[in-house]
Amino acid sequence: MAVAARPPPGIQPAGLACLTLAGCSGNQSALDAAGQEAASIAQLFWVMTTGGAIVWLLVVALLLYAARSRSHSEAAASRLILWGGAVLPSAVVVGLLAYALWLMPALRPFGAAAASGLRIEVTGSQYWWRVVYRSPDGVTVTSANEIRLPVGQRVELSLASNDVIHSFWIPSLGGKMDMIPGRTNRLSLQATKPGTYRGPCAEYCGTSHALMALQAVALPPEAFDRWLAAQAKPSPAVAASGAELFRRHGCGACHAIAGTEAKGVLGPDLSHFGSRLTLAAGILPNTTDNIERFIADPDRIKPGVKMPAFGMLPREDIRVLASWLRRLE
Amino acid sequence: MRFIPKPIETLWTLFTAPVVWAAHFLFCYGIAAVYCAKQDQIGISFAAVRIGIAGATVVALVLIAASAWLAWRQWGFGAHDPPHDDPTRHDRLLFQGFATLLLSGLCFVAVIMVALPAWFVTECVR
Amino acid sequence: MSGTPERQAQEERLRAVWQNPTGWRYWTSVNNTQVGLWYGGAAFAFMLFAGVLALIMRAQLAFPDNDLISADLYNQAFTLHGTVMMFLFAVPIFEAIAIFLLPPMLGARELPFPRLGAFGFWSFLLGGVFVCGSIFFNAAPSSGWFMYPPLATDEELSGIGADIWLLGLSFIEVASIAAAVEIIVGIMKCRAPGMRINLMPLFAWYLLIVAGMILFAFPPLIAGDLLFELQRMFDWPFFDAARGGDPLLWQHLFWIFGHPEVYIIFLPAIALMAMIVPTFAQRPIVGYSWIVLAAVGTGFLSFGLWVHHMFTTGLPQISLAFFSAASEAVAIPTGVQIFVFIATMLAGRVIFSTPMLFGTGGIAIFVIGGLTGVMVALAPFDWQAHDSYFVVAHLHYVLIGGMLFPVIAGLYYYYPLIDAQHLSDRLGRIAFWLMFVGFNVAFFPMHLAGLRGMPRRVFTYPSETGWDWLNLISSIGAYIFAAGLLVVIFDVLRPKHRHTGGELNPWNAGTLEWISEPKENWGVRSIPRITSRYPLWEQPTLLRDVAEGRGYLADAPEGQREGLVTSVLDAEPVQVLRVGGTSGVTIVSAVTLGAVFVALTFKWWLVTAVAAIASLCAVLYWLWTGTNVIPEAEEKDVGHGLMLPLHASGSASVGWWAMFITMVGDATAFASLIFGYFFYWTIHADFTAGQAGPGMAWPLIAAALFGGAWAATLIARTLNAGERKAPMRACLGVSALLALAASAAALAGPWQHGMDPASHVYPAIVWLLVLWVVAHAAVGVVMHLYCLARSFAGRLSALYDMDLRNSALYWHFVLIQAVLTFLVIGLFPEAG
Repeated sequence: MAVAARPPPGIQPAGLACLTLAGCSGNQSALDAAGQEAASIAQLFWVMTTGGAIVWLLVVALLLYAARSRSHSEAAASRLILWGGAVLPSAVVVGLLAYALWLMPALRPFGAAAASGLRIEVTGSQYWWRVVYRSPDGVTVTSANEIRLPVGQRVELSLASNDVIHSFWIPSLGGKMDMIPGRTNRLSLQATKPGTYRGPCAEYCGTSHALMALQAVALPPEAFDRWLAAQAKPSPAVAASGAELFRRHGCGACHAIAGTEAKGVLGPDLSHFGSRLTLAAGILPNTTDNIERFIADPDRIKPGVKMPAFGMLPREDIRVLASWLRRLE
Repeated sequence: MRFIPKPIETLWTLFTAPVVWAAHFLFCYGIAAVYCAKQDQIGISFAAVRIGIAGATVVALVLIAASAWLAWRQWGFGAHDPPHDDPTRHDRLLFQGFATLLLSGLCFVAVIMVALPAWFVTECVR
Repeated sequence: MSGTPERQAQEERLRAVWQNPTGWRYWTSVNNTQVGLWYGGAAFAFMLFAGVLALIMRAQLAFPDNDLISADLYNQAFTLHGTVMMFLFAVPIFEAIAIFLLPPMLGARELPFPRLGAFGFWSFLLGGVFVCGSIFFNAAPSSGWFMYPPLATDEELSGIGADIWLLGLSFIEVASIAAAVEIIVGIMKCRAPGMRINLMPLFAWYLLIVAGMILFAFPPLIAGDLLFELQRMFDWPFFDAARGGDPLLWQHLFWIFGHPEVYIIFLPAIALMAMIVPTFAQRPIVGYSWIVLAAVGTGFLSFGLWVHHMFTTGLPQISLAFFSAASEAVAIPTGVQIFVFIATMLAGRVIFSTPMLFGTGGIAIFVIGGLTGVMVALAPFDWQAHDSYFVVAHLHYVLIGGMLFPVIAGLYYYYPLIDAQHLSDRLGRIAFWLMFVGFNVAFFPMHLAGLRGMPRRVFTYPSETGWDWLNLISSIGAYIFAAGLLVVIFDVLRPKHRHTGGELNPWNAGTLEWISEPKENWGVRSIPRITSRYPLWEQPTLLRDVAEGRGYLADAPEGQREGLVTSVLDAEPVQVLRVGGTSGVTIVSAVTLGAVFVALTFKWWLVTAVAAIASLCAVLYWLWTGTNVIPEAEEKDVGHGLMLPLHASGSASVGWWAMFITMVGDATAFASLIFGYFFYWTIHADFTAGQAGPGMAWPLIAAALFGGAWAATLIARTLNAGERKAPMRACLGVSALLALAASAAALAGPWQHGMDPASHVYPAIVWLLVLWVVAHAAVGVVMHLYCLARSFAGRLSALYDMDLRNSALYWHFVLIQAVLTFLVIGLFPEAG
């Protein structure tokens, strides 16, 4: 199966068309599982929700009955406390606890990732993500705000932060894990369905916390390998006209682009920027117009962003830069 | 010397079982947390930690059972039914006994629940 | 018994003793009824303020990509909303209800420390206004109500708002601990004669447990605040990973407070239900002992849950599992409480009044919150639900169902105690249905939004995520809910026709608080002897006996505010307690202490120092004039031929209990700091990072000197008991000098080894522990000087030695903390 780097169709925004309660709910839903962990947890959720609904109906029915009924004996009422209030709940919660404890070690089997050997390092910053792929054959690829992973293989993520606490969460694939300064946390994910899934930053991280997201693209393994190999090389378009502007305006102080002298590490790596689906950490579609707007006044799009505004540059320069970046596939 | 203490007239017997629960909980959490943080420097295996937790659990359960037995005795081995609301010292003691017995029951279950993780989780993974 | 004229004279005297001051001096009142009402009114006002913030947020979130308010303002709004609801409404409202209700419910005239209660209120009000007001200067905290570092410790990212949060709330936490002391001593020692612990109203049982929880829950937060503020002010790197600190320590300390806090909020509300349900089921509660089990059980278990707020921080799975287990276990006592109410309703004949409507509606909501609580308590599910709108929904179901609805039920139920009028039944029902429907419309969809990946604390969201209609529904529901609350407020504030004429006990309740007359300030006309859980049902002559002055202390011939102290278990009267009356010193103390905190926020060091000295002077004046007053006689007749002492000291006195309880809280804060020390040890291979420690010699010398200071204090106490004044004074002096020497030795350790607290967390935590002990020593020295002054003023004798005994008690705690500190900092680095 030859799927290109483009997201498969059909994973379009769910939007208003989707009014059923469960399932079918966009590309960011914990109930629309596309990963092993998410599937197990969704199942746990449905078991608990069904049980919880039954318990709630029973309690409310009992409450209404008690409010309307004639007096029962005190002995009967006391028995209700013992059996309904103490014994039954104890049995239920012990059972539920055992279920969850049995589930837990199986959900995140660290060490199993050695099979595929791919490790992805994600580092949170205000308000974007640095992504570094380390494949077992020694290939290292740096990217940002998007992770790609092979379907059917376990991937180990190592999560860190270099300013405040962020949290990495792709609901369709699995639960979240915090990124804490001074610590490196591990997460292990296995996608089961190809597709594009959105993941928001889940720990409040400052002014534009709401505007920090990433895309996770699950690809068939062969497509993933091809993609990674391409990413390891500079983009073919790198020598085009924008490169000179990029250098002249000092963009390389913060950004790196493979194949040029830009080696900055403060901002996202832009080597293959054109192949990303979104701009500004999952906020805007990656179009030339949006890139121009962001370069001219990033704070307008993302309050508190670290990148200074470049609105003072000639409009034409911004346009050339934007279209060049868009072509860095 | 009496082996089994006389019924003690204090409010604090009520808290025996919960205090045992708390001590057991802290022990389990503490030993696991320190072990997982320092496992490189400690020469023992995680299995030893789990055995330690099992041992602490047995001790805690025995203590709680003892507290329950004393409470049951104070309650007159169930010879009197609640609500124990007479204005007498006797009823006050029965009330304390019954409440302590119930609390011991809760804590017994809670100690078992807190010990369950050591059964299911077999490594120090994060 | 005496005839009518004498009774009238008695009433006049009692009324005069207990009356409120008039004019502006009204605000210097310390009477529990007034303070309780002010407290409650202020808490409600703060709640409305936070509610308006919530409505603004809901308006912003009604549509995707909305730009009604800026990101920064939204972040301030949600931070303040959470902070105010938790710290300025949920906890204080129960303190208000307790202060208002407990004395009449226990058949007492007052709580044992009315001035402390008033001081707590003024502190709360000042701190609250300070924190809330900040948003009008665009300076509100904006890091979320749990203030995670490093976001909240970074000066650039959080600005002055974080200081306002830390210092304003520390001030309020002090007030909460004051309330806890007051409530514990009040319930244990000031019940009506005969009210044995098996006859105590369930409200009192609950509040006893809750106050105990405050004592262990708030100090870790205070310790955390201390670390936090030291980092912000002096750059001591407690939470800075680059210098050995760890942001997770704050999360531990915050949630050790934060989770019990949920139950500190929930239990008093359930306590109100435990008073309301029997009244309307027209029978005693079924399962009294079960409630005690549930309250005590919840109180303990709630301290084993804190890490379930940290399930995604990457702690070992085994640790998560322990906390999952305890979090599941706590569902059992919670279930018991619900079933006690159901059982009582089953066994009785229920009158379905407005309070019952709010109560049962609240339970129906709360049960959903409880069930989702059982779900998120399981670590795997929480990995998905954590920090999402699912959790937002869960916590509002718990807090609004488990706290706000019962409190409104309590408002409808107890309103006649406030001004002898009823709230409108019809408006109440309208309000209920608006609130009930509005609540569910607002919050139920949030479960789904959360599962669809909507994280909490987002000021906007893109339209393509499928959250837009869910959010629109939520916003509509929020406004319906607010409309219901508005109806309640209208009902409270509207002028009421005085047609009922202030009948006592309008609901025909069985518990003692209903003998309280709203028009009188004395609490109870005379203190009855209690022989039942529901005295108004089962003691038919009680109401008349009380009103006609046939109980205890029916008169106030000496012009003093008096109540009874009774024994803990069987409530046998043991002492007459004279409590402080109207005084402005409470306000002065609160204002000066508040000034210390405000000045610290803005780093006005000189103002801080001046305010601190003023505050110390105010407190000393308060103690000197208002405590341990030597009575005109040793005993007095309280009625029925019972002679009781007018004074007690040592463990028989309420002051000793208050000191003991306060110091338990203090020791808990200290334990949190020690926890911090060992926490740093666990996260690093070498937690000293190769830095010099304080050595062994100085810490051990300091420990020995503290031992000497403590011993000299005890000797002074013994000498005083033998009326040997001169050697006693000498011993106090020696103890003070030894304490100073010990402090010098304590500081010499880290000083001589050049430990720089800003360089790494290890020197910082060592310095902090040392400074903690030194600060305690300083207070201890002040106490010694105070006792010396009392002795020279002739106010300290073998019989009236409460000051000295309390100092000695304080020194026990100082000794424990000093020895532990110096052994840990002196010996542990050598061993490790």
